[in-house]
Amino acid sequence: MEKEAILELRNIRKVFDKNVALDSVSFSLYPGEIHGLLGGNGAGKTTLMNVLYGLYRRDDGDINFHGQKLNIQGPKDAITHGIGMVHQHFLQIGSYTVLENIVLGTDVSHPVTMKLSAEAQKIIDLGNRFRLPVDPNAVVDTLPVGTRQKVEILKALYRGVEVLILDEPTTNLTPQEVDDLFESLRVIVNEGLSIVFITHKLREVLHVCDRITVLREGRNITSLTRAEASEEIFVRAMVGDQMKIEGSVYFSHGSMANTAVDESATPALEMHDVGLKTKEGISRLAGLNFQIRQGELFGVAGVAGNGQRELAECVTGVVIPTEGKILMKGQDVTDVPVCELLKDWISYIPEDRLHDGFLPKANVAQNLILGYHRQEPYCEGSFIKWDTVYDKVRGYIGEYKIKTNGPEDPGGNLSGGNIQRVMIARAFSMNSHLMVAHNPTRGLDIPSMDFVYNKMLERKETGASTLLISEDLDELLLICDRIAVLYRGQIVGILARKDFDKYVIGRLMSGIQAEETADLRAAS
Amino acid sequence: MTIVRKLVPYVIAIIASFAAAGIFIALTGANVFQAYETILFTSFRTPNGFVQTLLKFIPLTLQALAFTIPLTAGKFNMGGEGQMIVGAIAASVVGILGADLPAVILLPLVVLAGVAAGAIWGFIPAWLLYKFNINEILTSMLLNFVSFQIIDLVATGSLRDPVAGHPTTVQIGQGGFLPMLIKNPPLNAGLILALLVAAGVYLYTTRTTGGYELVATGANPRAAAVFGINVKRMFVFSIVLAGAIAGLSGVIEVAGVQHRLIVGLQHNFLVLGVIIALISRGNNLAVPFVAFFIAILEIGASAMQRTMNVPIEMVFIVEALVLLFVLLSDVFRRR
Repeated sequence: MEKEAILELRNIRKVFDKNVALDSVSFSLYPGEIHGLLGGNGAGKTTLMNVLYGLYRRDDGDINFHGQKLNIQGPKDAITHGIGMVHQHFLQIGSYTVLENIVLGTDVSHPVTMKLSAEAQKIIDLGNRFRLPVDPNAVVDTLPVGTRQKVEILKALYRGVEVLILDEPTTNLTPQEVDDLFESLRVIVNEGLSIVFITHKLREVLHVCDRITVLREGRNITSLTRAEASEEIFVRAMVGDQMKIEGSVYFSHGSMANTAVDESATPALEMHDVGLKTKEGISRLAGLNFQIRQGELFGVAGVAGNGQRELAECVTGVVIPTEGKILMKGQDVTDVPVCELLKDWISYIPEDRLHDGFLPKANVAQNLILGYHRQEPYCEGSFIKWDTVYDKVRGYIGEYKIKTNGPEDPGGNLSGGNIQRVMIARAFSMNSHLMVAHNPTRGLDIPSMDFVYNKMLERKETGASTLLISEDLDELLLICDRIAVLYRGQIVGILARKDFDKYVIGRLMSGIQAEETADLRAAS
Repeated sequence: MTIVRKLVPYVIAIIASFAAAGIFIALTGANVFQAYETILFTSFRTPNGFVQTLLKFIPLTLQALAFTIPLTAGKFNMGGEGQMIVGAIAASVVGILGADLPAVILLPLVVLAGVAAGAIWGFIPAWLLYKFNINEILTSMLLNFVSFQIIDLVATGSLRDPVAGHPTTVQIGQGGFLPMLIKNPPLNAGLILALLVAAGVYLYTTRTTGGYELVATGANPRAAAVFGINVKRMFVFSIVLAGAIAGLSGVIEVAGVQHRLIVGLQHNFLVLGVIIALISRGNNLAVPFVAFFIAILEIGASAMQRTMNVPIEMVFIVEALVLLFVLLSDVFRRR
């Protein structure tokens, strides 16, 4: 490389309590490149960039920018120096217009009258230049996620950044929106800016990045240009030496053999015109009709907030649907509450693990029996058999690799990934005809994701069914037998495995009923 | 090892609070060491002092439990005093009206009436919470003032003892007296009741499925509900149970100690109960031990006032400081 690095991070170290999040990580960025920062969850990607952006103080190491030592105290400092970051969760005010959101916190030309026409023109120019067309007067709440992301990028460009950091920018985008985004990124770097692209998705990095740095467990493993390396090198760098890639579902490109589903048996779940309205009469779910066969892995795709959570809660009995009927193995369970369904019928991995699934003030053992505390073998009469519980829990801690000091460790001591492992261990610990898993692999590293996929595929062999609701389309394409797409509380299409096409699903996710999908539905 | 480590912050908190309160005692002109000697050892010098301490220990333990049980489910019962008073009123009314009944019938009736009255007094805020989602802190607290008026009404009404100088009812029937464990100095069987209740509460919350649901509700009500626990029912149940236990403390005051209803029997028990519960950090096993410690301070403080003219309020400062330092130790441990 003959070019001079614009930005260099040297031997960055960051420790949280006793956890070393970053251990002497170095990273350099050249002008005009898209630099992929690749790694599984907990690898330290976001932490490293938060250090650069000034959200965290580093414990050790140097940051050099344009050859000068930089001491960034906070995001404001970072922006003045020309470093901008787009977070995974957008920081926008929903009731404001695009224009108002973008100029918020900057000096405007007419601060008294708030006449913003000059600023609006600047935004339109930026949008044209970088192929990020957005109407400055649109209210942010009314925009789809893909456009809101453009607003977020424009916000950084408006502030004149030279380096743009994008944290997992493709989460929640449809495949079409992802393609658009990549195109804009290319335009941006062609104009001389540099981009850091944080992701855990290998295929995306290979698609769009010029250079790639792989992090694992808080260390940087390798930095290579796209041309220098093969996919295998990155896979190995991401997962380390312990994991067997050959047997892995995650890296299988969805080619693993799917056992046939018995079509003649009574369906594990039947939804008949199920609908859900809030007290105010707003419809959350409407006219849901589908069946899940015994032994089937049924996926639900969709942009977050289109009724996924309501669907999960209707099926599990957490809320009772206001319309329609739900049958499990032919039995009407529409009005059966969750405490009854947890006996043999269902198991549940809720999406929002912190609010809906976890007891931070209770210990690990108490967390692992939640919902099953009135069942064998955990209780006898009115008493809980703690000896049995602790024995079982020690087994789960080992099997599901939960990092904890033991069954009596307070839940609050666990990290996000380990809390997710508790959710998974609990759901898999008891037999169920139907597992409802909502974003089950969020926050897990690659070997753990692989473990979950294998566990789900194992269920098929015993004839147990799974309803997998996920925002990660790749995950659904990888393991599901069929995928339904949820849009504004309605199912707009169901595709069988042979018809899987991520662009077709992407169109359905954004509510476009294309002709070919209509054909598909007519055919099935 | 772990128990020792858990006790260390308490010991440090006690020493620190005594040191800090010593400054105030010195400012009043009294001998600090003599004052502390009185506070700490009055309970153990004479049999009477020890029995007085135990008599204080009984209501303090029950009041603290009436706070920790709802706290386990994440709710705050600020009505311990009111529940105690209505328990005492019901016990004395039944005890006076049924004065001629034999002990086998009257004593159970007295106890049951008081416990039931406390439970009803707890049920009111619990039901308002269940039905209308009204904050239980406010309603349980306000019901205390209602009970203050009722006790005035009863103690100055037809059951009044005309000879007494203070608003007081006549004695309840002999059959309603709790049996004595020791005749002189008088120690009643309420001590055994209190210890049984404390042990029962501890076993319930740690060993049973119901207790587990209580803990889960307090730890995260939303998650508990998602996994099939009826959290609203747990809220109601915990506050009603707390009311019943507070009611029992009123019964013991009437049937065990005074044998009549006296206005003002609640002496600061609510505040002390909350202090004990919070020093115990809501741990039901720790409650009786902390309650005993606070009982020693209370008895020692009144002795200090008698013999040294140091105001009894001084011991409040010590108690508040112990609580503050215990809570502070949490902050330091997190560092």
